[in-house]
Amino acid sequence: MKKISRRKFVEGTSAGIVAVAAIPAVEAQQKQTPASAVNPSVPRTTIKLSVNGVDHRLEVEDRWTLVELLRDHLELTGTKIGCDRGECGACTVLVDGTPLYSCSQLAVWMNGCSIQTVEGLAKNGKLDPLQEAFIEHDAPQCGYCTSGQLMIAKALLMKNARPTRDEVRTAMTGNLCRCSNYNHYVEAVMAVGGKA
Amino acid sequence: MTPLKTVGHGTHRVDALQRVTGAAKYTSDIHLPGMLYARVLRSPHPHARIRKIDVSKAMALPGVKAILTHANCDITWSSGDQLNQRRLFNNPVRFAGDPVAAIAAVDRHVAEDATYLIEVDYEVLPFLTDVEEALKPGAVVIHEGGNLSLNNQRQPAPQTYKRGNVADGLKAADHVFEDNFTSAHHNNAQLEMRVSIAAWSGDKLTVHAATQGIANCRTDIARDLKLNVDNVRVISEYMGGGFGNKNQCQDSDLMAAMLAKQAGAPVKLEFTRKEDFVAVHGRWSSRQSYKAGVKNDGTLTAIQMTALTGAGAYRKGSCDLSGTEIYQVPNLETSVSPVYTNTAVAANYRAPAYPQGVFGIESLMDDVAYALKMDPVEFRLKNMTRKFRDQTPYTSIGLEDCIRRGAEKFEWKKRWKPEAGSGTGPVKRGAGMAMGMFGSGLGRSSAVVRLDGQGQYHLYVGVTDIGTAAKTTMGLIAAEELGVPLEKVTVVWGDTDTCPYSVGESGSRTTVQTGMAVIEAVRDLKKQIADKGTPQGTDVLTAMATTNPPPLQGASRNSFAAHFAEVEVNIETGHVIVTRFVSAHDSGRVVNPLTAQSQVQGGAIQGIGMALHEELLYDKRSGQPLNAGYYGARIMTHLDAPLVDVVWVETDEPYGPFGAKTLGEPTIIPTVAAVANAVYNAIGRRVKSLPITRDKILGVLA
Repeated sequence: MKKISRRKFVEGTSAGIVAVAAIPAVEAQQKQTPASAVNPSVPRTTIKLSVNGVDHRLEVEDRWTLVELLRDHLELTGTKIGCDRGECGACTVLVDGTPLYSCSQLAVWMNGCSIQTVEGLAKNGKLDPLQEAFIEHDAPQCGYCTSGQLMIAKALLMKNARPTRDEVRTAMTGNLCRCSNYNHYVEAVMAVGGKA
Repeated sequence: MTPLKTVGHGTHRVDALQRVTGAAKYTSDIHLPGMLYARVLRSPHPHARIRKIDVSKAMALPGVKAILTHANCDITWSSGDQLNQRRLFNNPVRFAGDPVAAIAAVDRHVAEDATYLIEVDYEVLPFLTDVEEALKPGAVVIHEGGNLSLNNQRQPAPQTYKRGNVADGLKAADHVFEDNFTSAHHNNAQLEMRVSIAAWSGDKLTVHAATQGIANCRTDIARDLKLNVDNVRVISEYMGGGFGNKNQCQDSDLMAAMLAKQAGAPVKLEFTRKEDFVAVHGRWSSRQSYKAGVKNDGTLTAIQMTALTGAGAYRKGSCDLSGTEIYQVPNLETSVSPVYTNTAVAANYRAPAYPQGVFGIESLMDDVAYALKMDPVEFRLKNMTRKFRDQTPYTSIGLEDCIRRGAEKFEWKKRWKPEAGSGTGPVKRGAGMAMGMFGSGLGRSSAVVRLDGQGQYHLYVGVTDIGTAAKTTMGLIAAEELGVPLEKVTVVWGDTDTCPYSVGESGSRTTVQTGMAVIEAVRDLKKQIADKGTPQGTDVLTAMATTNPPPLQGASRNSFAAHFAEVEVNIETGHVIVTRFVSAHDSGRVVNPLTAQSQVQGGAIQGIGMALHEELLYDKRSGQPLNAGYYGARIMTHLDAPLVDVVWVETDEPYGPFGAKTLGEPTIIPTVAAVANAVYNAIGRRVKSLPITRDKILGVLA
């Protein structure tokens, strides 16, 4: 199995950028803060992307990060910002299936990408097995790192359905938990996919 | 101990679904219509007087709506300094990171851009970063009255405790041991950064705060802004950790409120991760000196401890040290002096005065045990506390069982080496242990419970749940007392407009204090039901209780713990791995073993980080922090974390809700010392300064 190292994690910025989702005629509603109206000199770019299966065509400020786009403009606040500087992993999302720190990606780079966030894990009102295991094993304490832990675990299990305990720990090491509930996080992931 | 129906059974958090779906709304997730974003400009200098501050260019930037500085906002932030020496914006500034201005603008980019347009003319002053330097004659004076802070009675003297006579005790000893230990300032580093949202509606202020205690936060805001407390509402629905640095009200709450007032719009003030490390607070550092007298048979005759603690630039915490109370010793003197320096402020971090103090005393006692050729476990069983301060009986004490059962689970006899440092090869293995205790006093709190005509109970408690599962704990206690399943109890929390006073999630007091109020309220409700019958249709029955038990007379209520660590030390690289860890805890009856286990494992792993990695470093020449952030702090990761085995020693405790004692903070108290003692057992040399980093290990081996 291919381990997802922290280095690869941070460096892997542009994987699968060509996989363009078809944009339907009726585009999802877009939200804009009044900020851009104040300063028209801020460069803006129109991008198309899919978030949790919903297609969007949006004009973004070039300085917006992906997490800013998700949280402030698409109202997907499940993805958290723990450091905003690529250190903690709380903002981890899947970009075309690859786990990335969304604080360290610019929104304009996401043109043509398919993004999955924690809000997209449950399908048809049914929780992802990882979410169920996280509840069962009391994985979240304060819960602030939980969305990121879920997404990195999801990425791991998509590549390696039956990881060992050490493979889980290695894959998830870029996701900090200051409550330090690492034992329960690993237990939960192992319960879904583990070889024990 | 009689088993109960609901309490004592592992139960999922009542808000677990919200926490795993992203539906939980933390403070930073809240967006109010027309809300502005705010940023803070901070001093780049460790010590400077502001001659002039010009905000005109910043104010002229399109989108900027309000700017606060010391010139237009003179507010004392009372919970920022116990001696009321701290304003929201200080002049002079006393550490690199002291706030100079706060800006509200239409978005966070504009607010940040504006920080660069504020012109500050500083008169740079001499500074110091070292506590010993701060006490030298002629040292730079940081506060009027000198760099030695007042004690907790506000007297110009150290914080002291004394029993017996140490000189006599040392005379009676066969051996006298002396040593010095130091510990570093390190950060709480909770994942959620500081954030406050303030909105005014006429005279009424609503603050969405990331706080550990909505009631205290509200009182503090009202006091500092000179508002009637009824006009302040504090909401904290979900909270992303704090470990002590979100107690009470924070400067961000006050700044957001004043910016919102000036701008006439709601304001969200966010601190950055660097600000969280430098400008909030961490655990105080310490320099501890010990003398201990001991008989040939291992009986302690005296302990003396004098210490300096690093308060940083203001006096936000007690800056005290604990640890010696875990030993039975007839003669004991302790003296602790908090000292100011031009560095980040120190205050509460999980068991504020304990893990560093326990590191000192437990390192020394370990040395004593080895010198007398005693097994460290046997030495502790011989000398552990039996009565509080050798005088007052404990309401219950499971410390001996923690040591015995913990040692058994850990396989101490197999893993501990009688000869420290023995073994061949570059990787040496060793085992260590340490003890700890923590106060578990009862105190004032309130709860309201309502039964509606549909048979559903609503429990109103002023908790915020910082990750401790407090909501679930309160629900379990209510369900147990009501004799109904947890699903029949809806817990309402986190809003001062709907919830009565709770002590706040500090001092590990929620379960014990608010839990008692919940039981009293439920008893009242049950009485009403017996008198009036079950409510039907739209009817309700409501009961409320405020419990404020008087301090126990002639008894002391405490939690106890013993931790056991096994490490591997690579003597060529200095790298340490914790390979096995056992935490044994007496917290009375465990209300929810599932979430309690999370806390114990997490506390231990956090403590391993404190033992081996974490320190906020300063450059002495520039007064600048060098490693503010997660990479620099090197907090524990998935790969660093060992499996932590938990042993519960459930003593029959007569007081508290169903006999529960405190838990959250004791989980980190013995950890650091246990790891340090394991490193000693592995390499046969003692590192006397926290954190035990590679360079220090290679240093003692050289």
